[in-house]
Amino acid sequence: MRPARATRAGRTGHPFARYLIQRILTSLLLVVGVTLVTFTLTNLVPGDPVAAALGQHAAEDPAIVASFRAHYGVDQPLVVQYFTYLGNLVHGDLGESPTTHHPVLEDLQVAVPATLEIAIGAIVLSVIIGVVLGTLAAYRRGKVTDHVLRVVSLLGLSVPTFWLALVLYYVFFFKLHIAPGSGRLSAIYAAPPTVTGMTTVDALLAGQWDVFLDASAHLFLPVLVLTLYTVGLLTRFVRTAVLEILDMDYVRAARAKGLPGRTVVWSYVLRGASIPVLTIVGLAFGSLLSGTVLVESVFSWPGLGSYAFKAASNLDLPGIMGVGLVIGIIYLGTNLIVDLLYSVVDPRVRLA
Amino acid sequence: MVSHRSRTAFAIGAAAVTVALLVTGCSAGSSSSSTKSSTIVIDRVFDLKTADPSRQYEPTGAIVDKALYETLLTFSGSDVSKTVPGLATVEASADSKTFTVTLGDGHVFSDGSPVTADDVVFSLNRVIGMKGNPSFLLSGVTVTKKDDKTVILTSATSNPALPFILPNPSLSILNSKVVIANGGTTDEKDSAEAYLNANSAGSGPYVLDTLDLTSQVVLTTNPKYSGDDKPTYSRVVLRNVESATQKINIEGGDSQVALDLSGDQASGLGSGITVASTPSANVIFLLLNQNSKVSTITSNPDFVSAVKKSINYDDLVSLAGKGAAQANGIVPSMFLGALGSADKTTYDKTGAAADLAASGYKGEKVTLSFPSDISLNGVEFTVLAQRIQSQLKDAGITVDLAPAPVATEFAAYRDGKEALGLWYWGPDFPDPSNYLEFAPGGVVGLRAGWPEGSDATVTAAATAARAGGSNDERATQFTTYQKALNATGPFIPLVQPANNIASASSVTGVEYNAVWTIDIAALGSK
Repeated sequence: MRPARATRAGRTGHPFARYLIQRILTSLLLVVGVTLVTFTLTNLVPGDPVAAALGQHAAEDPAIVASFRAHYGVDQPLVVQYFTYLGNLVHGDLGESPTTHHPVLEDLQVAVPATLEIAIGAIVLSVIIGVVLGTLAAYRRGKVTDHVLRVVSLLGLSVPTFWLALVLYYVFFFKLHIAPGSGRLSAIYAAPPTVTGMTTVDALLAGQWDVFLDASAHLFLPVLVLTLYTVGLLTRFVRTAVLEILDMDYVRAARAKGLPGRTVVWSYVLRGASIPVLTIVGLAFGSLLSGTVLVESVFSWPGLGSYAFKAASNLDLPGIMGVGLVIGIIYLGTNLIVDLLYSVVDPRVRLA
Repeated sequence: MVSHRSRTAFAIGAAAVTVALLVTGCSAGSSSSSTKSSTIVIDRVFDLKTADPSRQYEPTGAIVDKALYETLLTFSGSDVSKTVPGLATVEASADSKTFTVTLGDGHVFSDGSPVTADDVVFSLNRVIGMKGNPSFLLSGVTVTKKDDKTVILTSATSNPALPFILPNPSLSILNSKVVIANGGTTDEKDSAEAYLNANSAGSGPYVLDTLDLTSQVVLTTNPKYSGDDKPTYSRVVLRNVESATQKINIEGGDSQVALDLSGDQASGLGSGITVASTPSANVIFLLLNQNSKVSTITSNPDFVSAVKKSINYDDLVSLAGKGAAQANGIVPSMFLGALGSADKTTYDKTGAAADLAASGYKGEKVTLSFPSDISLNGVEFTVLAQRIQSQLKDAGITVDLAPAPVATEFAAYRDGKEALGLWYWGPDFPDPSNYLEFAPGGVVGLRAGWPEGSDATVTAAATAARAGGSNDERATQFTTYQKALNATGPFIPLVQPANNIASASSVTGVEYNAVWTIDIAALGSK
């Protein structure tokens, strides 16, 4: 009786739910894979976390070294260390970072929202600007607008973000006094009570309008730098995707039957182009979250990139594992959402 | 459009707070100097791991804890060659084994309770018992209470350096009742760190407001502070900022003090900014491994002598930038017993050629290992290594560069596996005895493959220096030791890079201290 019900439900009742469960289970397996790869790679690096974490003198004292190794469990064989890590992970324990002396989970709860704050801002702006510019470039193919946009997007892609960040900071903060200094808040403000970890959102929740305005002003430059890069990428992709669709028969037909230009663009062209664009937006968002280290360093932004860099340079194994795990989950999550969105924009992908 | 909205947002924000708090200090440059003096912003490249004094052993941690806590003895300004009373006075016995600590009157913690002998015993025993990074500072020392005002420190061996160790912020005196109530113990089970990262429990001029290890530390004045010099700034924001951004921040008025500018960055600053450039206490040196199993070339004494004479020291000093100095010996210039410039090693091309010929060197490659990700007071180790490579090439010595991140390379250095190494030594405390580790069989001596018994002259000089004596006697002992080390040792002291502290001209009292970099409470305004 049980198998029959399951089959019926699987076949007809909830194909979407079944797909979702399947995807989540695969993702879980992949996450375990991510931990294994990160763990192996980190341990392959020649070097001793003791030397990195302890001072020159402390590292000479066998009692201090033994105490350190026992505390962080690095006195155990690697296999034991790995399974201990997995076991703790199930309970939501990512270990303690020898660099910050904090539970890694707590560190990440600060770092991830900080990076999310700039990454969300950048991806939203990039999608809006990139879709408009890319469509424009495709419609004006071969004309001056197209060439100008091509140069601009190539520039956005090829200018190093680190350099761009420093130059923009110099111009907007030092020369023009438009933007505020580095960090997430001006020195005169105290951070709002933590709810989401995103300063702007937390300030709004606490009703601190002045803090909200200050935090938003601090977001401006980092978001701008990241946007310039991602817009370049999106413009190129949207242009290619739109060009392909413009040549399709159904678009020609729509035009031929005299539909207004706006309807053709929105309901025919952009809808058709949205699948490849969605793919690249998902990937761009993932790389924004994991690749902001240089921008974060210029703007003294205490995000995931800064944390990853600090963990890596200190051979902070739990920290590196934590970052690897979070980035892995972000990529998997983004891909899942993108795949689900496919079915929204393209009925052919919808599960029957 | 975005920039307009942001400008408006920022202006509204600044205006709102000016009205609400009557305090400003933000970047737009609209605030007046009288209100600005209450908050000071200090930019720093963080190496902060904890604010718990008994666990921290990082320069940034020392800056923070110096402001939050007090120590038994301390130093005045930048002078680290003699100690002055802090919470107590300390009297040493003739053999430098027993130290009588007598607490001064009227010192209170930030909760109003008095500083007692129990607090001293607990704090120092906690450093020893937790086996953290700074616990070696009190290695071989036992702490016992004599009465409510007196504590006896007993050292297993003669320890003339102990008075110079006690001012270290890692040996701060904590409020034992508060720390114990929050999980503090004097063994490895201690769990008070989380509390001490959120609150301070000291008697210093400031108390901890908030701490974020990756972004910023905020301090506010301790209303119960019993010292004579009350701090000028009622709120201190110490931020984690990269050095390139630090330069823009201080020029733009977003910060008042920048602690990590390189010589180049510091010399290009505009008007209205003062730069204090002094040689730091860090000594960058080359080591040539004496273990013939590691290298038959570098262990040859004639080859060592040839390398010493092949290096153009003036060139390295100018590379290190404004304020840097040649390291005359391994002991930095501001310490007792430092060598004068008459005793420094000098560039001697002909001498080098003769020594190289005597060594039988035939152009074999020698590998120079160094930590490529270290930038010390603005001196990039990679750049320095490349310059040394080209100088040695001029002398006919072929050097292969082997850069690696410090986290991986340090193990090879510590295990004495590098043929030629480029490293630095930052002092643990401002006393020359710290540098006895460079003698045969010492911590650093072993890293150069130089075990006990390798060099009788140096060992004899080190033994004499270890015995102690009056300040004058010790100064002579340490100069003799360093001269012997310069003559036959496997180390080549190169440069003391500059420490540049840039500050707005309105800020006074900026002074570099080799132990805690900067004393925030001493900063004033004009």
